[in-house]
Amino acid sequence: MIKTDAFNARNLRKTVLDMAFSGSTVHIPCAFSLIEIMAVLYRDHLMVGESAMDPNRDFLALSKGHGVMAQYACLYELGWLNETDVRNYFADGTRLKGLSDAHVGGLEVTSGSLGHGLSVGVGLALGCKLKKTKQQVYAIVGDGECNEGAIWEALLFASHWKLDNLCVIVDANGYQAMGPTDQVMNLSDLGAKFKAFGFDTVVVDGHDEKQLNKSFEDFKTSKNGRPKAVVANTIKGKGVSFMEGDNTWHYTRLSPTTYQSALKELGF
Amino acid sequence: MREMFSEILVQAAKANPNLYLLTGDHGYALFDKLRQECPDRFINSGVAEQNMIGVAAGLSKLGMTPVIYGLSAFIPIRVLEQIKIDFCYENLPCILIGDGAGVVYSYLGSSHQSTEDIACLRAVPNIRILSPADKYELKACFELALTAKAPVYLRFGKADLEDIHSQQPQVQWGKPISIKKGRSDLAIFATGSMVAPAVRLVAEHYKDACLYSVPFIKPMDVAEITEILKAKKNVIVIEEHSVLEDLVLRWLKLQLRWRVGRE
Repeated sequence: MIKTDAFNARNLRKTVLDMAFSGSTVHIPCAFSLIEIMAVLYRDHLMVGESAMDPNRDFLALSKGHGVMAQYACLYELGWLNETDVRNYFADGTRLKGLSDAHVGGLEVTSGSLGHGLSVGVGLALGCKLKKTKQQVYAIVGDGECNEGAIWEALLFASHWKLDNLCVIVDANGYQAMGPTDQVMNLSDLGAKFKAFGFDTVVVDGHDEKQLNKSFEDFKTSKNGRPKAVVANTIKGKGVSFMEGDNTWHYTRLSPTTYQSALKELGF
Repeated sequence: MREMFSEILVQAAKANPNLYLLTGDHGYALFDKLRQECPDRFINSGVAEQNMIGVAAGLSKLGMTPVIYGLSAFIPIRVLEQIKIDFCYENLPCILIGDGAGVVYSYLGSSHQSTEDIACLRAVPNIRILSPADKYELKACFELALTAKAPVYLRFGKADLEDIHSQQPQVQWGKPISIKKGRSDLAIFATGSMVAPAVRLVAEHYKDACLYSVPFIKPMDVAEITEILKAKKNVIVIEEHSVLEDLVLRWLKLQLRWRVGRE
């Protein structure tokens, strides 16, 4: 938990913009939909420990690896990434990639190929149970990622093994690579699906930090043998009006003009 | 061989409190002894192999030792990407067991035939591929695999019921095991279930040939094998695997390299 004023959604979004602009990279909106979730987790809930590999840390498995810039922004606030990492994002010879990579301290899983990170998170949760530790495991999946069969295998397993130290967060931003999720592969009522799989499930506004905070607080205190799910309804590209609801920004790079406009909208 | 596997698994579980067996609802009576003696180390992950590999990777990240069992048509083939990304990319230790390798289950249908596992895995970085010929090699390979600090795939078939050795052989990563020396121009290399037929082949038709068992498909001691090839004019390779990308091809490449080098 990092209690600093600087650790807020506005600053995190700025770091994402800085990285995406300096690296001339894509996937900004799917990082923006995650920002409040990440901010609340890192600021108020996650026991991150002294270093990235602290054996007693809580685990945050970012299964939707495309949103990794949101997590980089948190690691930057933690001081585990520095100014050079941000400014040289994507430059030849640097270590940060465009998808979550477990070789980077602070990232627990290698993802991008979807449907992997949740299972690894489930394994971490099972391992913590077997070792009888009090560590919590958070796994963030995308709604588009829920097309993957492996996600549903993992949910079955987590429920069967009573992993109440696991909290699955769905960043339900309503879009996937080629369009709205309800048009590409309709997931209909995601909350009902998680409930049917044996999860204590809440559906929240994924940009409302109070609601998120309460959900994670409930997760940490309710140890009843059932895993938890937080279906967070979010807006892809949240925070920058011209990105919100425009899925072409999934693949669009910032120009100097759009970079400045985006910063301005965030109040910089 | 399966009885031996059952025994050494129980021994290993007793010796290492962090060892867990995961199965995708395969194995039936194979794990009776483990379930009896170490019931909390048995994890039936259900018919859901993709998730099983990810879960095992999570355990491995916590320093535990997952032994993951399946039919080789599924472990590794169905979950090749999970093995590549969840285990091999981070070089996380595990032992993957592919049972029924080769054509042994072909009578059930093509879904259970497994003649691509070696070819597919060999291209994946970090993973080691072991193919023991009998129960003694299996024990030696399994003990070595436990010390590997890397992902290991151990393949065995049901056909290999005969013993090749009378006791546990000395094994070293990458080295073929000499089964029989011979003075003729012929060297025979066999792996896994094909070593026993190779022994009969030598006894009946090629009495002067030398015979090697090849339990290490990867890593392979190229220098040592090249030395053997230099001394022999003809080579026969026998394995229960597709010829499209197999040991034969590997050997031909080695031979080619040696011949080019010699010229």
